[in-house]
Amino acid sequence: MSLLIGALTIGFILSLLALGVFISFRIFDFPDITADGSSTLGAAIAAVLLIKGINPVLASAAGFAGGFLAGGVTGTLAMKFKINGLLAGILVMTALYSFNLHIMGKSNVPLFGRPTLSSYAETTGMRLLGRSTLRVLGWDVTVTEASTLITAFVAVLLVSLLLYLFLQTNLGAAMRATGNNRQMIRALGVNDERMIILGLSISNGLIALAGALLAQYQGFADIQMGIGMIVWGLASVIIGEALVGTRQVGMAIVGAIMGSVLFRLLVAIALRLGLDPNDLKLMTAAFVFAALILPGLLKNIQRRKAQALHA
Amino acid sequence: MLEICGVRKVFSQGTPNEVRALQGVDLKIETGSFVVIIGTNGSGKSTLLNVVGGTLQIDSGVISLAGVNITKWPEYRRAKLIGRVFQNPFSGTAPEMSVAENLALAARRGRPRRLSWLLGAAKRDELRERVRYLKMDLENRLDDQIGSLSGGQRQALTLLMATWLKPELLLLDEHTAALDPKSADQVITLTDEIVEREKLTTLMVTHSMHQAANLGDRLVMMHHGRIIQDFHGAERKRTRVDDLLARFEDVRRADQLDETAAEMLRRVYI
Ligand SMILES: Nc1ncnc2c1ncn2[C@@H]1O[C@H](COP(=O)(O)OP(=O)(O)OP(=O)(O)O)[C@@H](O)[C@H]1O
Ligand SMILES: [Mg+2]
Repeated sequence: MSLLIGALTIGFILSLLALGVFISFRIFDFPDITADGSSTLGAAIAAVLLIKGINPVLASAAGFAGGFLAGGVTGTLAMKFKINGLLAGILVMTALYSFNLHIMGKSNVPLFGRPTLSSYAETTGMRLLGRSTLRVLGWDVTVTEASTLITAFVAVLLVSLLLYLFLQTNLGAAMRATGNNRQMIRALGVNDERMIILGLSISNGLIALAGALLAQYQGFADIQMGIGMIVWGLASVIIGEALVGTRQVGMAIVGAIMGSVLFRLLVAIALRLGLDPNDLKLMTAAFVFAALILPGLLKNIQRRKAQALHA
Repeated sequence: MLEICGVRKVFSQGTPNEVRALQGVDLKIETGSFVVIIGTNGSGKSTLLNVVGGTLQIDSGVISLAGVNITKWPEYRRAKLIGRVFQNPFSGTAPEMSVAENLALAARRGRPRRLSWLLGAAKRDELRERVRYLKMDLENRLDDQIGSLSGGQRQALTLLMATWLKPELLLLDEHTAALDPKSADQVITLTDEIVEREKLTTLMVTHSMHQAANLGDRLVMMHHGRIIQDFHGAERKRTRVDDLLARFEDVRRADQLDETAAEMLRRVYI
């Protein structure tokens, strides 16, 4: 049971990552791999501030701000200096590695005994219920687990609602249109480069926020924790699209969240069934590869079948 | 008023593929005038519209609109003054967004985009009203993806979008060339109506001699990056399709003469 709850909680936290990847890859069609650096950046900033005794909500917000800036740098490199988008992401990601080490001062910052969002959730849950375990559907669940899950869920609900509403404003819609047809939005008087920079900022802000929450959930920030984040986010987005079957904004956001949770459940099951954790990233990469080429492959097979029928 | 002075544009300068697309174009268009541009393939018509619209920057010359020198303005900034419809129906709309969203985006052309709602209830009513005017039965499809509409419907909507806020200048680059004859007629009628009603200063490129002879109050002919003929006033009114075809034939014959002359020079000197 705690395995399931753990998977759900991480799934919700990393759905912020999926939303970030959704913005860069799907809305802007921009292969932004800054994610690997900006998720660690969010975790590093939040961890260091928490050690200093800063309020966890503020520390998480600061993590978001850090990612926002990092995304802005990637966007500026790509738009103003006309560097290839992939390369711009690699440059910033690489630079962030050193940057993150400087922020943390060492490669791992533990958060034992510090007030974090997780510990807040725990104490609030304890106070409300007055005991430390619950029975849910015949299972014993610790209040710590349950309240952390609920906190993650509420955080994601709030952030995704804000994102959805933002995309319905004049500014947000101009951003969506930029991703859809740059020529058109320029002809309507929008500075498309600025829209892409802003979009990548928001994308990496969300990804850094995911990193900040993840650090608080697992109780430490680590310089390695961002490796492979971009692929995880992509996997979630792809699963989400398969689940909701549309790219219409509201549904796509719901899909990204569902995709992230389902992906984490699949990972938990695979690990439970004996998958070597070292192979996890390989499996994820293989999965994303398959998901990317499968639609084209299926179309080809269908066409061949149709041709065979005609012949 | 649009003033184009001594505008030159060279593509791939200094390479074997060098193309002098505009070789010193001067054109002054009075406010409210509807100018039709015709010309042979590759004569620089699209390039002219692109340098006015800001898609391309020019090598030399000056472009001013409504008394402002816009030569150095980037495209998005010029859009405050200019409405555009492109040849390709896919170019003017965001296909994955709804009809209503596309129109609402255009309703703020050149204005700042902030955190106010794109589509309020009042806005929707206004959209429906204006779309009904197109008489294409699109007022009930406001929430459909605009990419699901036909080319003609999209071009009509793009025209509506380009003129939603009255532009100082409307640029139309063969905006009916990709449509079937019936849709093309519909869009041309609509163009004529809107330009007439709003008294829009308009620059329209076409390949249709029929459109050229019947639309607008001035007719400009381009060849090899230059303006070679400018019919206005009474002369413009007298001009028929046959006159235009005859003028094209002249141009073709002159080109051939050029070629035989070049051939002769080559034989003599090489
Ligand atoms: N981006 C570009 N790069 C290089 N050459 C170009 C470019 N755009 C146009 N040209 C060349 O400039 C010349 C003028 O092109 P332009 O598109 O303005 O002609 P046009 O009059 O619109 O022709 P058409 O009637 O075929 O649309 C052509 O020789 C064309 O090949
Ligand atoms: Mg052309």
